[in-house]
Amino acid sequence: MLLRPILSKLVRNRPLNSPLIQNASRVFSTEVEKLEETRPTVRKPNPVARGQLADFGKYVAECMPKYIQKIQITAGDELELLIAPEGVVPVLQFLKDHHNAQFTNLSDIAGMDVPARPYRFEIIYNLLSVRFNSRIRVKTYTDELTPIESCNDVHKAANWYEREIWDMYGVFFSNHPDLRRILTDYGFEGHPFRKDFPLSGYVEVRYDDEKKRVVVEPLELAQEFRKFELSAPWEQFPNFRNANPASEEVPTDKK
Amino acid sequence: MTSQAVRKTLKEVKPILSLNRDEARRRVLNLYKTWYRQLPYIVQTYDIPVSVDKCKKKLREEFTKYSESNDIRLVDMLVIKGQMELKEVVNVWKQKGHIMAYFKDTVEPKPKDFLSKFLNGKD
Repeated sequence: MLLRPILSKLVRNRPLNSPLIQNASRVFSTEVEKLEETRPTVRKPNPVARGQLADFGKYVAECMPKYIQKIQITAGDELELLIAPEGVVPVLQFLKDHHNAQFTNLSDIAGMDVPARPYRFEIIYNLLSVRFNSRIRVKTYTDELTPIESCNDVHKAANWYEREIWDMYGVFFSNHPDLRRILTDYGFEGHPFRKDFPLSGYVEVRYDDEKKRVVVEPLELAQEFRKFELSAPWEQFPNFRNANPASEEVPTDKK
Repeated sequence: MTSQAVRKTLKEVKPILSLNRDEARRRVLNLYKTWYRQLPYIVQTYDIPVSVDKCKKKLREEFTKYSESNDIRLVDMLVIKGQMELKEVVNVWKQKGHIMAYFKDTVEPKPKDFLSKFLNGKD
């Protein structure tokens, strides 16, 4: 009884099955068209909260025009500030100390590796404002040899998070009080979360009964080099063909 | 003309530690000396079956492995990693196996001539 209207709606929303029209929709899928979420099981972003986030993003961009390059909203209602790498400490300090922000809790620092980019690493700071029950994400970029200023003086929590990033990606944080490995074994070479690090690693560790100790030996890789072709000739997610774009830019008036 | 062309291709980058080549070189030499002076104590505390002379040879080998790297920032990064390793060794965070891993004494050399390749079943 209850299911019927939902099912009929689903059938109505499905795109036409003719291959020509499917192709056409793929070609024009770059066009941004805002779809209203109607599925009952999917969380709908609150338009009021969304507007407030956009306003706050614009305000921050006005306050720190030197560092903030872009403001965007992802997943409906998550605010992201894209900043220049020099601006990490000032922006985090601003977000922490400003009376109407109070992002005093650094929940996590994440890293991301996209080798095709000129600055291949993205460093992502996740902040929480306990006062306003709100979250924000601050993203910046770097490469293997460009140091990023440590934000340990702003958030004490950054100490171990930055050590993690250093260990996993090899991004150097300048002025960090105690930068050393945290997750890998002593003597481990390489940074495992880099995309060019092989899944099997470079070495093999075993206990040697003659030497009475653990020995490290280079791993014989079955294949010398492997190219992963990630694009496929078929469409992988047809259900998301007409989905909303992952992020929307909030327009700021830049000079 | 050529100098202008060269100047255009150079990118302005943020230094890690050293501002010029001399400074980077000084850091490398400092690190080398610190390791060198530490070697007898390392041999003693870790009780490794290797003489100090062999350790010195290995230290030199580990440094000359990167003699080709000219980028100041790359040199700085290697120095930083070397310092971190020295700290791990001096504070005895490492164990005997980690120290002996430098010497690779269980790794069999790869077959080079035809007959040994054949006997190993590799070509």
